[in-house]
Amino acid sequence: MLNDILKTRKSLFSDGVQTVLRGQENRNRRVIFLQGNLVGNVRSESRGVCARVCKRGVYGFSSMAEYSRQAADAVLKAATENAMFLDSHAPKGLPDQVSNGTGIVPLHKGIVDFEQKRIIELCKSLDDYIVKTYPDLVSRTVVYTEDSQDKILYTSDAYDGHITNPRCYIYVIMTALSKKDNTPLELYAVFGGSGSLETHFKTIEWMYPGIDALHRKLMDKVDGVYAEAGYKTVILGGPLAGMLAHEAVGHTVEADLVLGGSVAGPNLNKRVASDLVTMVDYANLTPEGEAPLPVYLDDEGQIARDAVLIENGILKGYMHNRESAEKFGVQPTGNARAWDFSDEPLIRMRNTAVLPGTSRLKDMIASIDDGYYLIDTNNGQADLTGEFMFGVTMGYEIKNGKLGKAILDTTVTGIAFDMLKTVDMVSDKVCWNSSGFCGKKQRIPVGLGGPELRCKITIGGR
Amino acid sequence: MKSIRKIAERIEAGFAASKVKKYSYHLVEKETRELSAENGEFSLLRTLFDNTVTLSAFVSGKNGVVHGNDFSDEGIDALVKSAVLSAQASVKDTAHDIAPEQEPAKFRQGNLKPDFDRFFERIKELLSDIRTEYPKIQIMNVIGEYVKSHSLLRNSNGVDFEQTAGQYFVILEFAGHEGDKTTSLESASVQIRDLDTRLIDLGSLRYHLDNAQKQLDQIPLSGKFTGSVIFTPELFAEFIGMVARNYISDSVIIDGTSLWKNKLGRKVADDKLTVTLKSHDKRIVIGERYTADGFRTEDLPVIENGVLKNFTIGLYTSRKTKKPVSKNSSMDLVVNPGKTPLEQMIAGVKQGLIVGGFSGGNPGTSGDFSGVAKNSYYVEDGQIKGAVSEVMINGNLGAALKDIRAISSEVLADGGMVVPYVLVDNIVISGK
Repeated sequence: MLNDILKTRKSLFSDGVQTVLRGQENRNRRVIFLQGNLVGNVRSESRGVCARVCKRGVYGFSSMAEYSRQAADAVLKAATENAMFLDSHAPKGLPDQVSNGTGIVPLHKGIVDFEQKRIIELCKSLDDYIVKTYPDLVSRTVVYTEDSQDKILYTSDAYDGHITNPRCYIYVIMTALSKKDNTPLELYAVFGGSGSLETHFKTIEWMYPGIDALHRKLMDKVDGVYAEAGYKTVILGGPLAGMLAHEAVGHTVEADLVLGGSVAGPNLNKRVASDLVTMVDYANLTPEGEAPLPVYLDDEGQIARDAVLIENGILKGYMHNRESAEKFGVQPTGNARAWDFSDEPLIRMRNTAVLPGTSRLKDMIASIDDGYYLIDTNNGQADLTGEFMFGVTMGYEIKNGKLGKAILDTTVTGIAFDMLKTVDMVSDKVCWNSSGFCGKKQRIPVGLGGPELRCKITIGGR
Repeated sequence: MKSIRKIAERIEAGFAASKVKKYSYHLVEKETRELSAENGEFSLLRTLFDNTVTLSAFVSGKNGVVHGNDFSDEGIDALVKSAVLSAQASVKDTAHDIAPEQEPAKFRQGNLKPDFDRFFERIKELLSDIRTEYPKIQIMNVIGEYVKSHSLLRNSNGVDFEQTAGQYFVILEFAGHEGDKTTSLESASVQIRDLDTRLIDLGSLRYHLDNAQKQLDQIPLSGKFTGSVIFTPELFAEFIGMVARNYISDSVIIDGTSLWKNKLGRKVADDKLTVTLKSHDKRIVIGERYTADGFRTEDLPVIENGVLKNFTIGLYTSRKTKKPVSKNSSMDLVVNPGKTPLEQMIAGVKQGLIVGGFSGGNPGTSGDFSGVAKNSYYVEDGQIKGAVSEVMINGNLGAALKDIRAISSEVLADGGMVVPYVLVDNIVISGK
């Protein structure tokens, strides 16, 4: 954990500017067993300090790969000079941003480090179990990945604080050959979450049912068929609903993208979804308890608050940093986040989810004569128009209200605010995923969640 | 600040004290000056001083790798200790190795004397040019960056490569915007040595700006058909990246799931396709000079006249599978141009698309791809009929390379790659 060596540097903050000084350490631990071979055995640490200075609406920033008082002094000086350069060469002349309160946010969670030996042994024992239990695989991979951020923040006119974000996961990847033409087919499952190795992987046996479910799905997939391309009635599984919340809606309601012309701009307070759809970007607490990746204080020193995005189908608000909140005349939501010590904070999501409804999955399946149940996804993208794409790695046909054959990898697409209006059933359980990164200039860990949604969507196929 | 050679001495002394006789390491010092304009206005100026150090240690045939960024004596000593512990905890595998002794070399590339004031003026001029010439463009971000790096790779076999390099980057993100209408996000980037040319005239900037304006007026496309697709250079480069990952890279060669694992020297694409990792091409501003494993970089033919010439695998995979190591770990991509002018290529399309972007699931090792054709136009009887959205393209990477009908005589050289337009038949295209 970082020692606080920055407190005394607050006295060096210049007058007439708004300053944030941040010390940070990021750690990563990674072990990869591919076909029983240890192909990755890596530990990494990056540590440094940065300063951001705002002068009449323009920003200067500087960072240095050194966590020391001297480095803090140097980045404060360079960031101030950069802000002055822009203020003189390209002035905006805006007044100072209004302070939304000052204080100290205490540390919520510690970071615990483990020896590489223990991580390697953990992965090896899981790999041994998989090779012994599932002889029909042509390839298997076990990946342990752990990342953590440890930040100390001092601000001129906002909250100071000590922030940590530790998380760790095990990915199990299985490959088998399709029965039709022997092409390799792959599926993966992820285990873990916020916290350390000890939080999630004291034992490995608890993962066996999940690994077994993964294997069963893969065996269904080897008999899989191509989906029929077209506009279909489908049930999006929880992982796809979470992807929808993040990619298709979430990005369009980040206030910087709204200012950049996203489709959400002209739709505020208008209907963008059926009244069954409510969507929130949670800061640190969901109705089920602590959010998968809780954020209490953002990297501008703003207290993190939930951002209600869609309520009963109506677009209600955006996610903000300090500057955009002021432009829109609302309270900041604390969405300004930075990944590395050398990154400036950007408006990023935290734990974005569609809220559950009242339908049961089996009734949803029974309600479809000809469609698909799309369960797992491996990636998704969307743009300013809300046009989205999700890769689908696992799904089944639905014929006459019953699950049919598994389908091979495909893609679904649509325009978010059109597609969400077709949602006519929402299941009563939310599925969360927090292992991924969102990419927007920098990467950042995000949580995404959702219940099953019955809707109409365009599916790719042959 | 301590010299990179002094830090190297500290690392080697640390390994010697720990009785580690086999090791390699890579040190990089980087300085970045970055100017951002958001929504057309300058908003942020950043100065970044960064370091990275990667140590790879071998203990009793076991290998451990650590990354860090602390160049202080204490930081280096802690990292050496961590590398040794990591290696001790590892599993013995003789396939892990380091590059053999080679002639030491020093490289200097790009522009090492930046003119930041002029760069600022060039970006200001770019913003003004876009406002004047492309009134329906809403600029989201313009990032202008000058990056200078100094790096050193050494290993216990005597490898010693040192490089100093500097270049400018310009990255644009924008969309067409008119009333309530917004197009998909477009982006374009260039890497440059000097500031002699107006930025708007470089790479494919004008193409993308023009495209974003044209995308504001869309025509509907419905139904499903098998047609032809003209891939823009950026998109074809992206597809070549997917081909590399799924057919010829480390993981799929090690686990044997590559469909091309036995195709070295055999035909995998149409005769017209030649793909080379050409790091010494003068059109690449800063090409790779040494690989991640510590080999001096050579230009690497990947596909030559349709025949697979090399895998793109590192030393570990090479030793594990007894296939030749790739002495190029870059994506300094050069695809040879063809003989067909783009205009003639379009005229030859009976029914299909010109596709500028692909938003799709990551193809698996089968190579099947399926996704949305972004920034695209519908073409019928050799005529561009209009911009389209919500159109999907489906196919297979390997099959698509065999179905190449034409390669354009024009190429895009953006400082990082040199790639033409490519016309591929038999792609399944489906509208809403």
